[in-house]
Amino acid sequence: MHIPDGFLDPKVWGTASGVSAGFTAYALYAVKEKLNEKVIPLLGITAAFIFAAQMLNFPVAGGTSGHFLGAMLACTLLGPLQGFLVMVIVLLVQCLFFADGGLTALGANVFNMGIVGGLFSYMIFIYIKALIARISGEKRALLISAAICSWLSVVIASAVCAVELALSGTIPLSVALPAMVSVHALIGIGEAAITTVVLAVVTQARPDLVHAMKLRLPAGQEV
Amino acid sequence: MRHDFIDRYSRIESPIHALDPRAKAAAFFALIIICVSTPNSDWWAFVIYATLVLVVLFASGVPLRYFFSRLLIVLPFILLVCIFLPFMHKGGGQVSLGPISLSKEGLLMMRAILLKSLISVSCLILLSSTTQFADLLHGLEKLYVPRFLTTVSAFMYRYLFLLVDEAQRIARARDSRNYKGKWIWQVKTTGYIVATLFLRSQERAERVYQAMVSRGFEGEFPRWTEIRMRVYDYAFAVLFIGGAIIGRMVRPWS
Repeated sequence: MHIPDGFLDPKVWGTASGVSAGFTAYALYAVKEKLNEKVIPLLGITAAFIFAAQMLNFPVAGGTSGHFLGAMLACTLLGPLQGFLVMVIVLLVQCLFFADGGLTALGANVFNMGIVGGLFSYMIFIYIKALIARISGEKRALLISAAICSWLSVVIASAVCAVELALSGTIPLSVALPAMVSVHALIGIGEAAITTVVLAVVTQARPDLVHAMKLRLPAGQEV
Repeated sequence: MRHDFIDRYSRIESPIHALDPRAKAAAFFALIIICVSTPNSDWWAFVIYATLVLVVLFASGVPLRYFFSRLLIVLPFILLVCIFLPFMHKGGGQVSLGPISLSKEGLLMMRAILLKSLISVSCLILLSSTTQFADLLHGLEKLYVPRFLTTVSAFMYRYLFLLVDEAQRIARARDSRNYKGKWIWQVKTTGYIVATLFLRSQERAERVYQAMVSRGFEGEFPRWTEIRMRVYDYAFAVLFIGGAIIGRMVRPWS
């Protein structure tokens, strides 16, 4: 899903870069007091972890494979803004040093995988989790809603990617959207399974490391 | 993963390696932006961009074999999309190739996108293989990229290869136990691997932080040498960007 340079036209990559830069600036500002010298190594190593996890291919069907995205996982483990910043850094390093994803497309890639696949999916996750928590336990609600939302995060990120390619006039929407969404609906199942297994194991072993375990809706907000 | 695969040639000596990272970053980033905003039909401009890239490639002394092997890693996806472009577009008349007919507009777009992405990827590869990682980050910092992003990137890069190796070690252990992942319901195993990797990475982060603090870490990396823009660096940036702009503007045959 990493868009290379040349696939987007200036109005699309320009807009996406502006929006992504704005979100990044806001995230940096909002978590500023938490960004002490202790968090820097932690986020750096977590970013390296996401990168390493993305290199593990998992089987989809009959020998074809997909790879892990990790945006929802990063958000549930670290909290939305810090998870988003980790994704920004992963994409930045992949672009600059691995030439994976283009420089002008960096804003679009951050938009797809960080904002849509991370922050937006996490917002849906908060509400779904609160809904499910009413009828079952806290931990089960966490796992079920994480599964739903990580599947969703991959699918909507791929749909947005298809829309960007179509708006740029590169690939018509009638071709790009079904192709991207159908492939990623399958890959999303893998994403959901991995995210859920990881959250299940980590809440068992080190519940203190899971940000979403401490999550409560802000006072006064009802679902 | 070989630790030095990405910046293996970033420590050799050449006129390009000696440049200030800011001059290189500005020049390559400008070329990428100029290149992707070039109209599809201006083939002449792409020839100029490619010439600029090749001149820098030869001056840098980065082995061609290495350069193309890195290009090959990113090529498949670009090719996959480009091959289908002439079939997906209609317009600009048809070109018939035996039994199949292709749209002229689609072919033009295929050529342009292929060239744009190849030239841009080449720029990024040249930048990362002629500049040491720490220098490039320092240069970006001087170009007003937030310090938090560069410092975290530095940590990420430092531990990247360690964690990738760890992931590959675990995957090898899995394979040696006769795991043959073929279908999606076997994905649970990958989940356990990712979970293990995460727990180990967090524990590693705690150890690293303690070790860093005991050595006086206060949130940024001290540098031995300061980077400095000289006349040579300005000249390179101006010539390179100027060449690209001329390529973008001048249209001798259209």
